[in-house]
This record gives sequence, C-alpha cells and structure tokens, in this order.
Amino acid sequence: MRKITLTTLIILVVMSVFVTGVMAQEQGGTLVFGRGGDTVGLDPIQVTDGESFKVTQQIYDTLVDYTPGTTEVEPALATDWEVSEDGLTWTFNLREGVEFHDGNPFNAEAVKWNFDRWRLEDHPYHIGGEFTYYGYMFQGFPGIIQEVNVVDDLTVEFVLSEKQAPFLNNLAMVPFGIASPEAVKEHGEDYFKNPVGTGAYTLEEWRQGDRVILKANENYWRERAYLDEIVFRSIPDNSARFMELQSGTIDMMDGVSPEDVEAVESADELKLSLRPSMNVGYFAMNFNFEPFDDVRVRRAFNHAIDKQAIIDAFYAGLAEPAKNPMPPSIWGYNDDIEPYEYNPEKAKELLAEAGYEDGFEFDLWYLPVPRPYIPQGKFIGQAIQSYLSEIGVTANLVTYDWSTYLDKTEHQEAPTYMLGWTGDNGDPDNFLYVLLDKTNSNNAYESEELHEVLVEAQKTMDQETRVELYMEAQEIIHKDAPWVPLVHSTPPIALKSNVENYVPNPTGTEKLHRVWLAE
Amino acid sequence: MAGSNENRVMKKNTNPWLEAWRRLLQSKIGIAGLVIIIFLILVALLAPVLAPYDPIKTNIIARYKAPSSEHLLGTDGLGRDILSRIIYGSRISLQVGLFSVALALLFGVGFGLLAGYYGGKLDMVIMRFMDIMLAFPSILLAIGIVAILGPQLKNAMIAIGIINVPRFARIVRSSVLSIKESEYISAARALGAGDLRIIFKHLLPNAMAPLIVQTTLSIATAILEAAALSFLGLGAQPPSPEWGAMLSDARSSLQKAPWVATFPGLAIIFGVLGFNLLGDGLRDALDPKMKNV
Repeated sequence: MRKITLTTLIILVVMSVFVTGVMAQEQGGTLVFGRGGDTVGLDPIQVTDGESFKVTQQIYDTLVDYTPGTTEVEPALATDWEVSEDGLTWTFNLREGVEFHDGNPFNAEAVKWNFDRWRLEDHPYHIGGEFTYYGYMFQGFPGIIQEVNVVDDLTVEFVLSEKQAPFLNNLAMVPFGIASPEAVKEHGEDYFKNPVGTGAYTLEEWRQGDRVILKANENYWRERAYLDEIVFRSIPDNSARFMELQSGTIDMMDGVSPEDVEAVESADELKLSLRPSMNVGYFAMNFNFEPFDDVRVRRAFNHAIDKQAIIDAFYAGLAEPAKNPMPPSIWGYNDDIEPYEYNPEKAKELLAEAGYEDGFEFDLWYLPVPRPYIPQGKFIGQAIQSYLSEIGVTANLVTYDWSTYLDKTEHQEAPTYMLGWTGDNGDPDNFLYVLLDKTNSNNAYESEELHEVLVEAQKTMDQETRVELYMEAQEIIHKDAPWVPLVHSTPPIALKSNVENYVPNPTGTEKLHRVWLAE
Repeated sequence: MAGSNENRVMKKNTNPWLEAWRRLLQSKIGIAGLVIIIFLILVALLAPVLAPYDPIKTNIIARYKAPSSEHLLGTDGLGRDILSRIIYGSRISLQVGLFSVALALLFGVGFGLLAGYYGGKLDMVIMRFMDIMLAFPSILLAIGIVAILGPQLKNAMIAIGIINVPRFARIVRSSVLSIKESEYISAARALGAGDLRIIFKHLLPNAMAPLIVQTTLSIATAILEAAALSFLGLGAQPPSPEWGAMLSDARSSLQKAPWVATFPGLAIIFGVLGFNLLGDGLRDALDPKMKNV
C-alpha cells in the first residue's frame, strides 16, 4: 500500500513539473517560506545549518553549481574548467560581466580573495567564525588548496597539495558562495548580518528570530528571478506552521510533520513535494563512555531497534531503514552489507557475552527540534528507550536546546545521541569522512583502518577504485558498529497549489529564482 | 503548667478552627473543592490499581487510537494509554504542588516574620528583594531558574517554590505588622517572653488564616506552572506522564488526534479547579467577619 502511495506521489510531482513547463510563467509576487528555525548567519562559510544555507543560497553563487534536483555539477560563476594531468592544478574560466550587489565586479581577484580569507589563518579577514566547512571539505587550514593564482582577470587557478576526487563537487557547495571582498572588509565581524553576493536576491531585512526578507536582484547575471520578494519566516512549531499554511499566511513550508502528510495530500489547495533522499538519521554511541567501547554492546543495540516500525510510525512511511551511514542514492553504496536484523534475543545474548546480562543505565540524548532526517526526536527517542528496555537496558532521556545540543555533541559530551546529516555534494566522502573519520567523529570512534581507506579514497581520481574503497569503508564501519544507522528519509515539503516550478534538491536547500506563483 | 490551664480556658470557648471547619462544610464551593482534592489524592495513591495499562510502555503499532472501550481516553503518539498516563500524572502534579508550596511556605514565612518583627534595615532588605522577585512575571522567573539548574522535574519544583516565596512573605509580614504593636504583645513582652516565643506563640497563629488560604491557592498555581514548564520542555522529562508534558507532545497531532491534547488539558483544569475552589471556600470560612453568621 505504502509503496503505491509513494509511487503515485512521485508521479504527481513529476506531472506537476511537466504541467508547469507548459503554462506561462508569471513575474512578480511574494513567496512566504515557513520553516522551523531562524538563520544563524548570512556569511555562508561561517554557518553549518540548513536554515542559514536556505537563505545564503539565494544571495550568493558558487563557482559551479548543482543541476536542480541532482548533485551533477554544472557551470555557474565559472563557465568552464580544466584539470591538469596530475589532478593537482584546476583552472577555471569565470563568467564575464557579473557584479556583486554592491556594484563591485566579480573577477579572479575576488575569487582569490575569498579563498585566501577562508584558508589562511593569518589573513586579516579570517574572522567572524571558524570557517568550519572549509576545514571539513579541504582538510584544515590552509588545507589541500596550496595556492590560488590569478592568471588573468577572468581566469583563476587552484594548486592542490594532493589530489581530491570530489574537488569540483565540493566547490558547488553552498558554503563556498563568493562574497564581495569590499563588503567583508567594510563590515568585518558583522559581515554575517550584511551579506553581499552575486545571487538572484539581495538582503532587504533580517529581523532576527522572526524573518528574513529578500528582494530580487535586478542585475542578476542569469535571468531575473520571477518572484519580487521572498520572506523566510521562522515558525518553530511544526503544527503551528502547518496551520499557517492551511490558513494561507505562508505559501510553502518544510518540516511537515508526518502526522500532517495525509492532510496535505487530501487538501485541494495544497500539494506535496518530496525532496530526493540524501540523508541519514542515526543513533550514535560514544566510545569514551563505558560500556560503549565494547563492540558487542554496540552491536546489541543495533539488533535491539526495529527501524521499520519506527518508519511506519514516525515518518508516514516516507523513509527507508538504514544499514549504512550513507544513503543508497549516493554512488558507492554497499548493498551487500547484511544489516543487523531486529532481534532482541540476539541483542540480549550479545549483552550477556559482554558481561551486561543485568543491563546498565545510561543517558540517551534525543533531538530537541524536528530535523528532516528525524522529524520527531522526542517520540523516536522514547521509542528507542522502550526498545532498549526490552533488552534490559535503562536509558534516561536527556536533551538541551538545539545549539547547546550541537555544541555538546561536537565536544563528545554525549554518551549516546541522536543526530543526522543531509549530504552537501553527493559524494560518499561527504558522509563517511565528514561523519566517521577519526578526525571528525563526535563519538570518539577513531579507527585507523577506516582513516587510511577514506584518505586514500580522497586522493584517488579513478572512479572505480574509489567505489571499491568506499565499499570497503562501509564494511569496516558495519563491523565496528559505531552507530545504529536508523533511516534515510524523504523529507516532505508542503506548498500551496499555485507555487510552481519548485524543484527540491537532495542537498536540502535550493535556489528559488525559477519559482513563480500562478494566479 | 500555665500552658495546660490556658488550653482548658480555650476549650470552653468555641475553637475558632472548628468553627471555620463547620463553615467550610456549609459552603458548596468548599465542599466541591474538597471532594475533587480527595478524589485526586485517592487516584494518585491507587494509581497502580486504577490504571489499566503501563503508563510508560510504548506500543507504536497502536498510535493515535481514538477513545474506545479498550482505551477509554484513546492512545497517544507512542501508543500509550492516555487514561493510565493521566492517572499516574496525578501523582506528579500533587507532588509538585505540595513540595513546591511547602518550600515557598518555609522560606516565605521565615522572611515575612523576620521582616515584620524586626523591621528597620532587615525589613527593607528582605522586602525590596521580594519586590524585585515580584517585578518579574513569575513564569519567566521560573524559566530562568530552571535554565540555570537544568531541565528536570526536581528543578522545576524548586523554581516554582522560589517564585512563590514573596507572596507568603508579604502576607506574613503584613499580619505581623498589624498586631506587633497590640497591647497583648506588649504585655507578653513585659512578662518576659522572648522574641521566639512572641513570634511563634502570638504572631504566627494570627497569620494562619490568610496563610492557609494562600497555600491552597498556591498549590493550584503551582500545578499550573509545573504543567507550563513541562509543556516548554523544562519540567518533567519524557517518558514521564506529566500532564503539561503530555499536552506538549500532543501539539503535533492536534488536528489528527484531538483527544491526545484534550484529556490531559481537562486533567489540569480539574486539578487546578479543585484547589481553587477549596481555597475560595477556606477564604470565606476563615474570614473573621463571618464569625457566627
């Protein structure tokens, strides 16, 4: 049954796109986008959260971009590029006649200035944050980008210290949007409130905690955006947001509660759009806390949780059970892995083997906010708690407000915690290395074996070899069981039926300049 | 020996407390409150016997079942029986009400007596501090305190206790002030009674009537405040069947399964109403102007 509804849904979505193509687009209007949280900052390199990227994506452009709805790379600010034989030198030809919102020209100087700001810790404008995503993707500061050279006004050259297979995919990521150097110099630490890019929209006003208002950029280098104005409103409560959509005060929303999916499908004035699944929701166990340093305990937990039941109950069926840390939509997914099946008896045996036949007590941190990969953290936390109690283990539920939660988990303070990840660039590296490499893991999982494989995969340019390496990495992770991978969800987005041409990206955020409103 | 003589003299007159009790039983409001509270206490005490299901155990196949003969009040988002959760929740609510008000009473009375009896700078310092606390909306102050202590039911109780201290302090202080200069206090002092004796033997009993009323009414607000804190995720933590927390969990299903929010909401109203009615009844019963009416 559920499969059939999903297929019908996808067909509907595809059809709506087709119908849109036939109808005439209309210029103008304001789109109000309801979402769960406010933007943290508008300097894309300084933020890591989707609510910030949702907005910066409209204000900035990257050198290359993803074709809407996919993670294929296509030209954006760079029109074309080439890579040297040894894979170490990348040369980009830049688009001519592009201007930042402040009127300054976009050129090779500006690109170099941005990259230098991000990668050089002694750069005068390496301020205002930790440049987290640069560190993630290019391995620290200055990382593997050794030099950025201005060849001529519209040609820029990157010299890498080692090969990085997903280099191009990485450059298309939202955090690497090119900012106006003059604006960064002018505002310094406060630049995150005064963003200036080349994108389809400019910042009109940001009322913190409430809304971000964007106005169409009349000088956009692509075709001008259809919408005159986009308002991103923060409405933290899922059901309150949904009621606003029903009453028509917002035009679209993400974070649709699974409870409301049915209501969207049955309402004439609403429609549902499904974001292609490229995420993972997981339950991690911290190796620094006993007894989670014992692989038998971690495997026992993997056997104790019934993922399909969780999906049926809390995702309206819009998810699939996870057996690997990365979703099957990404190449290199290892489908040969035999998942730890739901088997409480086996879990008990494993616990007994590890010497915990009488169980133990620990803190389980549950997500305080709805995320696309775990829409109902409190419920799912309690469901996990109850599954674990069946194998004799007592979990105490704990949570903090969202930013504290993230901060504390990053500092490995949580014994066990729920978290998730939405892929940025469609590369396995963006899941496996970013989440589980010993340099990045939040749960003190520090496998040398895995590290070697992942680093080798980064340096290999040959696609087949990379696939093999990532297959191997997933086997190592499966064997070590640092997580209970829970689900890969297909996050639903609800729109008023007159919102046309909205194409959700698997990366979790998308440009809205092609969206238009029908009468 | 003097004490027992006094008692004998007292007994000849009508005992004012007995009188008040009689008047309370005559007031319909007071009786209604009393009945509700006794009912709540019985439910709380007999929870394991009364509850048809385990209030914690989840059954995610039976989510959002509408009220039926199997589940009288339906099930919540984790398939737990709402009736059983409300029954167990009464334990938490009563516990919160009693504990936090006891805490407020202890400190409020202490500060009030000190301020009222000794007056001067001490009065000034204590009462200005109380004023500062009253200047904050009480729930905001409670949120602040819980934020510092950490979100737990225990801390919520402490926070609610703290925010209620000023009200008690004011009541006690004002009744102390009004009788401190009475002749019988001067007489007691002239007879060589110490501060402590005067405070506990003469001043405090005079403040008893308003204190009892305030205590009862405060339990009602404490239950409400605890529910509010839990609703905000700052009080009882899951899977505890606290009424406010149940209400909070029900938000996502307000349209799909309204009963999940309705019944805990009614339970809160019911509990608060009980203590409020009793408080009103007590106020009338203890009013000295009503004597022998």
